[in-house]
Amino acid sequence: MKAILTVEQLTKTYGRGDSRTHALRGLDLSVLPGEFVGVMGPSGSGKTTLLNCISTIDAPSSGRVLVEGKELGTLRGKELARFRRERLGFIFQDCNLLDTLTGLENIALALTIGGVPAREVEPRARQAAALLGVEEALEQFPYQMSGGQQQRVAAARAMVTAPALILADEPTGALDSKSARLLLEQLSALNREREATILMVTHDAFAASWCRRILFLRDGELYRELCREGEDRRGFFREILSVVSELGGDGTDVL
Amino acid sequence: MFCKLALRNVRRSLRDYAVYFLTLTFGVCLFYVFNALDSQSAMEFLRAGRGSGTVEAIFRLVEVFSVFVAAVLAGLILYADRFLIRRRKRELGTYYLLGMPQGAVARLLVGETLLIGLAALASGIALGMLGSWALDRLTLSMFLAVPDSLAAFRLSLPAVGKTVLYFGGIFLLVMLLTGLSVSRSRLIDLIRGERKNEEQARRPLGESVFLFILGCTLLGTAYVLLLTRGLLRVDGIFFLMLALGTAGTFLLFRSLSGFLLRLTRGHAGYYRGLNMFVLRQWSGKVHTNCLSNTAVCLLLLLAIGVTACSAGLNDTISGAVGEDAPYDLTVLNYGRGAVYERADLAALFRGAGIDPDTAFDRMESVTVYYNDPAVTGVGEESAYAAVSLSDYNAEMAGRSLPEMEEGDLPAKTEYPLVNGPAAQGVIVVPNAMTAALEPRRQMVNINYRGDTARVDAAVREALERGGFGRGLDIQGNYRLDTYYDLMGNKLLTLYMGLYLGLTFLLTAAAVLALQQLSQASDNAVRYQLLSRLGAPEKMRRRALTAQVALAFLLPLVLGIVHAAVGMTAANAVIAQVGKVDSVRSSAVTALFLLVVYGGYFAATCLGAWRAVREAGGRESGSRPFR
Repeated sequence: MKAILTVEQLTKTYGRGDSRTHALRGLDLSVLPGEFVGVMGPSGSGKTTLLNCISTIDAPSSGRVLVEGKELGTLRGKELARFRRERLGFIFQDCNLLDTLTGLENIALALTIGGVPAREVEPRARQAAALLGVEEALEQFPYQMSGGQQQRVAAARAMVTAPALILADEPTGALDSKSARLLLEQLSALNREREATILMVTHDAFAASWCRRILFLRDGELYRELCREGEDRRGFFREILSVVSELGGDGTDVL
Repeated sequence: MFCKLALRNVRRSLRDYAVYFLTLTFGVCLFYVFNALDSQSAMEFLRAGRGSGTVEAIFRLVEVFSVFVAAVLAGLILYADRFLIRRRKRELGTYYLLGMPQGAVARLLVGETLLIGLAALASGIALGMLGSWALDRLTLSMFLAVPDSLAAFRLSLPAVGKTVLYFGGIFLLVMLLTGLSVSRSRLIDLIRGERKNEEQARRPLGESVFLFILGCTLLGTAYVLLLTRGLLRVDGIFFLMLALGTAGTFLLFRSLSGFLLRLTRGHAGYYRGLNMFVLRQWSGKVHTNCLSNTAVCLLLLLAIGVTACSAGLNDTISGAVGEDAPYDLTVLNYGRGAVYERADLAALFRGAGIDPDTAFDRMESVTVYYNDPAVTGVGEESAYAAVSLSDYNAEMAGRSLPEMEEGDLPAKTEYPLVNGPAAQGVIVVPNAMTAALEPRRQMVNINYRGDTARVDAAVREALERGGFGRGLDIQGNYRLDTYYDLMGNKLLTLYMGLYLGLTFLLTAAAVLALQQLSQASDNAVRYQLLSRLGAPEKMRRRALTAQVALAFLLPLVLGIVHAAVGMTAANAVIAQVGKVDSVRSSAVTALFLLVVYGGYFAATCLGAWRAVREAGGRESGSRPFR
């Protein structure tokens, strides 16, 4: 199968001269269509930099990022904005929803920006909301919703445009355990039933246990890769924990 | 160190709040220009000459209005300051967290206010000097004739003193209130200052519709009261009318957001591009800002009304000069001891050292007779005097005006025959009829040749010197007198209109601009999210412009409607004095609106966009993939 996301020899350095920091040192990875991939690692391991490079928020120092075979470095201005809104979906830790719009309108916004015909907008937004189980929040403003509802509305917005890749940056970071579980269930259902491709960055082992495959980063390099066999999340969770303690094992970083 | 911090903060806020600073500067400038009127050469010229009464009236009115203007500007400055402090709560909280004592933070803010105040005062007065000079030149250019020695650049120290006093007082008040509010604030409120609940609960449609209809009814009642009762009956009902109008405006703003949102929501355009976003941004603010929007709307009404009225009145007055004084000079010969005696004025002028052939373009003598109803058949109540057809036609021919035919006589003069009030109530009779009438007095119409001001001064000197008429009672009606009287009135209305109109306009625009700019930090987060969702820069920029435009347009539209009704009532008053050229006055007003309001609108758009972009720049600072 052809990879939906390919990262080749990606490096990113900040600063210059003596104060140079290597955030990524030649990273290679690929994600196939319909995968649910987690990226884990201690702070400073390069998770966020990787996500920023994939989401075109930041540019790599060298190496290539390809989405559906198209190299992101070649995109300019309008093409870039078009790529962002049509091929990528975002879920962030916070600042996700516009406080002036209702849930429905927040989801619809992703469509109206993309110029989807007005009469298709509302049905599609409602459909996406139904998929993520947030119909009850459609007429509410973000400050009236719970944190979990907000994140699921954000997830609905991320997938309503049927993007090639959904990027989630610590989506459960600000949620209590119950809301986090609900969101992860919905995401993994989205992945299973809709074959949505999801790349999720997290440092929470519990959240990561919902993924099919997990890439561990350390100091800007790929450290380990774990795959889940079958539906045994409990065993997978324990495996993840052992790698996490291994990662934090050499002392300085306590995750 | 405080000084350094205060200075740095001021420099930063000068950039962030350029609109605020410019408004302060313009306010000071306006105040100076109009309080420096008494040092203007045009005013001195008028005062020294025949228009001294109106000049004194101008100064008195400027004094009264200045108090009013200062009060309006003080309100604006206090409002702006409160906005700026609220925006900086977090920064102030950080100072406290770092262990700065409360007194020091208060001192820091007071120092900042002082610095901004001083800078605005200095730049405002400097700009005011230029403005005063420009206004002087403009005024002088409106005169028919002035000595060349005028129009020098002058500085009015009393005006500087007064400006410093008034604005010093205002800034002192602001500093006091700032210090007070800061020393009373609690750390937790400051730290959480930015986190506020966006109050945007949905309001039921029924309530919105009810409020909307109620608002329209109140406004309609106020309009009807104004139009039927007129503008000048100031009594209990007048104030009731004002109250109704204000309440109606307030209710309209209050209900409009819910109303419009519901109306547009079903519409296909709602789900196009960022329309939905813009409408929501606007409607939320329109609701919370309905009080200040009402104030802005009323300020705009005053600004439009005052400017349009003064411009209209001004034209009415200009038109009057030509009608009241068709000649440079009319010499009236009342005869010797109230008995008619014709004089040879050319000889008299020559005797006084003025050669009529070189000094005058034309000199025509008209004999005015007593109107004898028995002879003319016209009652004394409608005409007190009569002239012969040949005299009348000779004057009309000289001015290229239509002459009269013998068959139409006797008839009232179509155009004034001489300068001054004597021009009214005169009938023209056939030449032959004058033989039966008793001569009343001789009137000589004169037009000067060459420099009007110089000839006028010489003639005036000659006529007023004793013994010009050699025993005859001779007086002059000078066009320049009429002209200076009218000029004085014209300047009075024009200046007062400009002064008040500009102040109101400036205040209204500044309030709106501050409102929009103070939302910049909230907006920055939202527009950043839009950018992440893939809305191209052009789309975002258009949305921001639309948002600012909506905020500026709504009070303007309602203000214009108010002003149109108010002007209809005002015109009824002005029409008693003269005809109002409403097209021209509307054009002048529109130009003012366009320049001041449009300028603020453009500045606000730029400022808001810059704020959004700077905040967004943190994320995509390296400008990837360009």
